[in-house]
Amino acid sequence: MQEAPTKNQTGFDLKFGTYEQAKAMIGAKSEVIFSDVEVNVPMIKYYAAHLEDANPSYWDEDFATQAWGGVVSPPGMLMSWLMPLPWKPSGRGAAPLLATQVPLPGDTLINVSTETEFIRPIRAGERLNVTDEVADVTPEKQTRLGKGHFITTVATFRNEKGAVVAKNKNVMFRFSF
Amino acid sequence: MCTKRYAQRYFEDVQENEALPEVRLEVTYKRVIQDAAATLDYFPGHHDPEYAQAQGQKTVYLNTMCLQGFIDRVATDWAGPHTFIFKRKMTMARSVYAGDTMYGKGMVLKKYDHDGRHLVDIGIEVGNEEGVCCPASVTVELPSKNG
Repeated sequence: MQEAPTKNQTGFDLKFGTYEQAKAMIGAKSEVIFSDVEVNVPMIKYYAAHLEDANPSYWDEDFATQAWGGVVSPPGMLMSWLMPLPWKPSGRGAAPLLATQVPLPGDTLINVSTETEFIRPIRAGERLNVTDEVADVTPEKQTRLGKGHFITTVATFRNEKGAVVAKNKNVMFRFSF
Repeated sequence: MCTKRYAQRYFEDVQENEALPEVRLEVTYKRVIQDAAATLDYFPGHHDPEYAQAQGQKTVYLNTMCLQGFIDRVATDWAGPHTFIFKRKMTMARSVYAGDTMYGKGMVLKKYDHDGRHLVDIGIEVGNEEGVCCPASVTVELPSKNG
């Protein structure tokens, strides 16, 4: 039974369709998506302040330079660097989440799990990009939150020189209210 | 050397089954909004209580990137700033809401050498007043006293 989607308030350009259409996207890869901003110290400090994280790798430039060759990105900011700015003169960029482009009936989504491997420290001044790939879409499942599908994606993060800095496997639940 | 010294745990200092000190953080509405801004994540479940409730949640909840950073902080507060987060796995079984006090605690599961790297596996759990929200595991690389 198909109903017209009316409740997409996610802020993402969600694609709607059937599970069969979703399954056809397994193996699909995103374009390379480039970060709007380079890895930078003010955003690193704001994130570390948010978590009250005193790690001098984020705060003490002398220490960070000696230990890591520069102030480093907190590992938890990996996905943040690729989130599009809320506005820019040329129009808002795409979210780096191929999971939102998998056609399914659900109006909303919630992230379920992530598994990340960091290849090396990510330093201030680097400019990251990401390619995302759809690895799996499950049949419809009933959960506490509602009925929906689990989407697994695998993202590869590189710096501006093309060196892989991290890999991230993400599971998102796409469901209806 | 002119840099300030910070306490660091070396690979040799680590004991298997050792408990990490608990870290706590008040999750106010302000912090949840701060989270959205700090991570550029404007998904409405993280700033709009009505939307979060329509999703079956109590109110706005912390996002993935915040929980990841908190998990990493549990590890690095204990181990020190020369710690490289090599791998992290986390599952959001339940949400952490505005109004909660979040805790993070951990235990050393295993220490071992791999490809010349000194690695420690740590089990970490993040929760609130009602119990575990986000079970996680982290593999960190630590410096060795033997270089």
